[in-house]
Amino acid sequence: MEKINSFNIFKAFFKIGLILLGGGYVIIPIMKQELLEKRHWLEDDEVCDYYCVSQCLPGIIAVNMSILVGYKLRKFKGMLAAVFGMGLSPFVSIVIVANLLSKIMSISFIDGLFWGVNLSVIVLIYLTLKEMWLKSIVDIFSFFWFMLILLLTVFKVSPVVLILVSIALGLFLEKVKRIKNV
Amino acid sequence: MFNTYLLLFFEFFKIGLFTFGGGYASLPFLYHICDMYNWFSHEELTQLIAISGITPGPIGLNMATFAGFQTLGLKGALISSIALIIPMMIITSQVFRLYKKFSENSYVKSVLYVLRPTSCALILGVGIKLFYNLVLLNKLSFNCIDYKALFLVLFLFVLTFKLKRDPIIYMAIAGAFGILFQFVKIL
Repeated sequence: MEKINSFNIFKAFFKIGLILLGGGYVIIPIMKQELLEKRHWLEDDEVCDYYCVSQCLPGIIAVNMSILVGYKLRKFKGMLAAVFGMGLSPFVSIVIVANLLSKIMSISFIDGLFWGVNLSVIVLIYLTLKEMWLKSIVDIFSFFWFMLILLLTVFKVSPVVLILVSIALGLFLEKVKRIKNV
Repeated sequence: MFNTYLLLFFEFFKIGLFTFGGGYASLPFLYHICDMYNWFSHEELTQLIAISGITPGPIGLNMATFAGFQTLGLKGALISSIALIIPMMIITSQVFRLYKKFSENSYVKSVLYVLRPTSCALILGVGIKLFYNLVLLNKLSFNCIDYKALFLVLFLFVLTFKLKRDPIIYMAIAGAFGILFQFVKIL
């Protein structure tokens, strides 16, 4: 078992950030392999627990998971080491790609490549939705709310406003329920 | 210029604070930024989405870094990625301390009950927008015609019944088809 210190946490997450491609659910098998099987820093169900918690929190799932693991291992220092490690290779690769963007865009087949990849995003969004749908649309109200928000996005209402209104409504509904129960 | 730095920080802090549901959930925010400011064009945004998917790292973080770079260069990339991560570090580390309480709190449950359909609708909104722009409208100057796009989307859709959810597989297949289509057209 590798010693748990800030540098090793950084190293582990640097590797995770480097091999994580495409994002989303791929993080689970990668974290299991790197943190559980190779380093034994976590228990088996912890990875899945952290994934579930991260899904409920604002932000990027992979980043939230690295915050949870880092914080668990070495509190604040561990969290910084994990996030910095996770973020480093994406940051460097994006900066390099962005710097070479005009060169990249002049590669002969790049238009076709981007065209295809962008179209695949439509299907990836469908897959994301499919994953979320059963947990999200659980009754008539949630379906109605879904349709209402969809309609509002067509009129370019800011997503922040829609999310704040949703949070407020959630708090309000629970408050009403509690008052009724008293 | 100083104002742009602050605005950039503010906008990506907002994304870190208000995105629920992973990478593509930040797309509605990026489109919103695109409509509000002149930081990058819609076409640059579609390039950015494609590149973020095929470079290492979480897509949401890649998109933020890239968008920051498009706006203000290297400093912009630093600002946007740090601004994105700060709210997560604050909220998530606090939640870890209250872990058990948090997942059983009825207010949290009630908020999530309303938030989840909202996230679904926001993400679907982006899906519809992409479908409209890329397949129906084809206003982006890629050298391909709509029915090819429609064919590819339907093909990938059929593949979802067969393949795992690993996003990179779909990107690779779609990218290969894109390149193929382009060369077929040249020939």
